[in-house]
Parts: sequence; C-alpha cells; structure tokens
Amino acid sequence: MRRVTERHRPGFWIGAAGAMVALLSAGVTPGFAQQSVAVRAVLAKGALPTDDPNAAIWDTAPQASFPMSPQVHWQNRIQEVTVKDVKVRALHDGNQVAFLLEYADPTEDPDDAAALEFMVGDKKAHFAHGQPMMQVEGGPVNIWYWKNKDKKGVDMNAMGFGTLKVQPHQDVKASGAFSSGTWKIVFSRPLATEHAEEDTQIIPGNFINVAFAVWDGRKDGSGELVEKGSQKAVSSWWYFRAEPPPDYSPYLYAVLAVGLAVGFQFVLIRKLKKGQEA
Amino acid sequence: MGALTKPVILLVTVYLFLKFVVPNIPGSAPLPASLIFLYLMLVTAGIVIFFTMSSESKEAFWGPIQRFLTGENLGALSSARYAVLIVFPLLVGWQTFGSTAVSDAPPAENRTIHPAPPGEYTGLSNPVSKTPENIMQGKGFYAAFCSPCHGGNFDGKGPAARGFNPPPANFADPTTIAMLQESYLFWRIKKGGVGLPIEGMPWKSAMPRWEVELPDEWIWKIIMGEYDGAHQSPRTWE
Repeated sequence: MRRVTERHRPGFWIGAAGAMVALLSAGVTPGFAQQSVAVRAVLAKGALPTDDPNAAIWDTAPQASFPMSPQVHWQNRIQEVTVKDVKVRALHDGNQVAFLLEYADPTEDPDDAAALEFMVGDKKAHFAHGQPMMQVEGGPVNIWYWKNKDKKGVDMNAMGFGTLKVQPHQDVKASGAFSSGTWKIVFSRPLATEHAEEDTQIIPGNFINVAFAVWDGRKDGSGELVEKGSQKAVSSWWYFRAEPPPDYSPYLYAVLAVGLAVGFQFVLIRKLKKGQEA
Repeated sequence: MGALTKPVILLVTVYLFLKFVVPNIPGSAPLPASLIFLYLMLVTAGIVIFFTMSSESKEAFWGPIQRFLTGENLGALSSARYAVLIVFPLLVGWQTFGSTAVSDAPPAENRTIHPAPPGEYTGLSNPVSKTPENIMQGKGFYAAFCSPCHGGNFDGKGPAARGFNPPPANFADPTTIAMLQESYLFWRIKKGGVGLPIEGMPWKSAMPRWEVELPDEWIWKIIMGEYDGAHQSPRTWE
C-alpha cells in the first residue's frame, strides 16, 4: 500500500501558482462600473435630505455626469444653451427617493428651472416630451419640474410638445440652492404612488429610463427670456435604479459549490486509487 | 500519455480550423464562440465513443487520465495535477456565482442603426437634377438645418451633438450614407427619429421630423448636398 505522507510538495505550490495565473488570464477579474450610463440611488444611511441640496450625506451617493444638448427635435428649437453637463446623485430609504441635480450656471435668475423626465408604465416614450411615434405606440412621460421663483416641485405629464399637464395630485417636492456659479436642486418623491398611469413607479433593483432638462433663466438685451418652453438644454434617455438591499446569497452558493466540487474530486480520486490497488 | 496525444491534437486542430480557417472560406463568416464550443463538445463525445468501443482502447484512453488524477508516477506533471485540482473547484464556484448573482448592469440595448424603410420609400429616385446650383442650394439648407448636429464637416460632430445618444450620423463614415440609397435618406429626413420602427428605438433619436417644416424638394436637395459635401455617393443597384 502506497501512502502520501508529504504535506507540501513543491509541485503543489507550482500548481497553485499556475492555477491563479490561469484564472486571472481567463478574465476572472471584477467588472468595472460603466461611466455615467446610469444614476444609482444607494440606500441612505440616515435621514433622506429631501430639502437640503447641501447635506453632507449627498457625498455618500455616487455621482453620474450626463452631457446636454440644445432641444432641436421640435420647433421652437434652440441651437445654443448655457448648461453643457448635469451631475446627478440619488439616494433612497426604501420609501422615498431623492435626486440631486448639479450644474454650472454663471448667474442666478428667477426663471432658472430644471426637470427630471421618466417613462410611465411599460410603454416606451420619446425622450422629447413623449412625442408621438409613428410605428410604435408610445406612452406618456412623467416630468418633475422646479423653477427658482416658484420654490416648489411640480408633478406633470406630457405626450408630445404642447400637451404638458399639471397633475391634480402633486407628489414631487423640490428645492434649489445657488452658490458661486453652481445650482444644486433636490427632487424627492415616494418610490411608489397610487397613480401608476401618471407617475413613474420606482421598484428597488429595476432599471427605468430617466432624462434631464435645464433652462437658464437669463434675459437678452430686449428683456426676453433666452431659454423658455421647448428652448432648453436636454439630455437623452439614460438609466436610473434604486439599489436593492445587499444580497450575499450568491457568495454563499459559490462557496457551497466550491465545497461540493472539492468533495467530488476527493471521492473520485479515492475511488480511482482503490480501483488501482484492487 | 500516448493515447491522449491524438485526441488533444485533434481538438486543437478542429478549434484552429473553426476559428481561423472557416471565416476565410469565401462566403463564410466568423463562427460565434457558442457554436465553436458546441462543435468541440461533439468532437469530444466522438472521441470518447471511439475509445470506449473496445476494452484495450478504453484502457489506453482512460488509463493516463486516471493516473493523472491519482498522481501516480507523475513526476514533472504533478504541478499540472495540482493546478487542475485547484482550478476545477474555483471555476465551479465562479460559474455558480455568475449564474446566481443578479446583474447590476443596465439592460443591454441592441439598436438597429439602419432598419428597413416602409415600402413606399424604397427605390425612389431623386427628382431634382444634379446641377451645381442645386447641390450648392442643398449645402446651404444643410448648413441651416442639419449642421448643428451633423456638423459643418459632415462628421456628426456639430455643436449641438454632444448630449445625444445615439449620436448624430457621421456622413463621412463609409458605413452610413455611402451604403444607403437616396430614397432611404429621403425617408429618414422626412420622418425623423419618431418615424423609426421599434428595432430602431425611435424613443431615443433626436432627429427632427422635417416633413412638417421643409418641402420635399428641399429634402432632395439636402440629400445631394450631403453626398457631395461628405465625398460619398449613394448606393445603387448596379
């Protein structure tokens, strides 16, 4: 009978090193988050800053950045806008969600305004105000709007330019703070509402579409607003997700699977060795 | 290890053939990794069936594998044995993790860039004669209506383009207007982003529906100006 008594043969360590190299070169490396395709609302450790754009807790939320374009899809269009990028953070506490929009604007004006836009329900909606599409039956968009001089959030719906309607039930809160050339605006709302046909519903773990709009409320030499109505800075559709509570079960399953595989190898080799000895 | 050498050479040869030779056969295309994997599995099954047909060939085939696993008289190969014994459970663990962990990446999007146009927009020919004046006028309309997004250099990099996803088409790129017919451009300009079929994801396109603002004749002239300015010519049936 042959017995293996040496515990750590040199071959073991060479094999282990080779195994590591093989796994690493097979691409088993942690995936890196894509840059600014999505806004992720992380679970807030503490009270949600629903009316404080400068709360310290915002630093715990990852920041996404999205480029802006002038609204050119529909008349009246505009060819140049003040705001070139918006930075977005989000937090949720399982009941409410809060978004922080941040962008550079040289001057504070009473007509400065910003908005978030979402699709409603399962139907796709065109990013430009839910414009009707010819070959696809589209749905409405839900717009959360804030204007500096109104000091409040407005919950609205649209299905194309010229169809904007303020909802009879207002669920959105908003407040802004301007400081040294930067606007910070907080929008908040319960994750779920009772009006699923008009309000976007946020289910932690699910991705939904989101888009942004900004109006610089400055006036030209003749006292006319330069950006107003459809003349605004817009973004395309991007993604938003309220992060679900952490789930560690896949790690547990993986450890169990490794244990089972080691056990399988052990039994197999033992059986083979017995067979050879017989 | 003699009996194992041939199957290994066979598998490597089949892999190299599928991966590098098949795509170069005229009229063929690169095979997807899943199909190559399927073929290799079939070859492996064939090898196992072949070697288990008689007891001698069975022993010649399984013997080295058994001796490798039990570590009997392996010598220099014992490192390889340990590597296999460590990698296998880790791969099983990785696979399990991969199939049970919920992806936190946004949904993948497969957008068709040039979906099929409606029937009435196929095979139309440009009714405007290709005179230098008309091309000139088309370029003027292009500068006024199209260049803010598609760019003064026809490269899709106009000053208004940066926020749009998908980005405005780059007409200088040989995979855009150079592979399309004039009637296709006529459809895309007239109906805009909202005229796309579902596979074109119309809800994402910023392209205006120019039929509500521009007469057809202007659109045909813009098409001529676009091809001329981007140094491309429309695809034809010849």
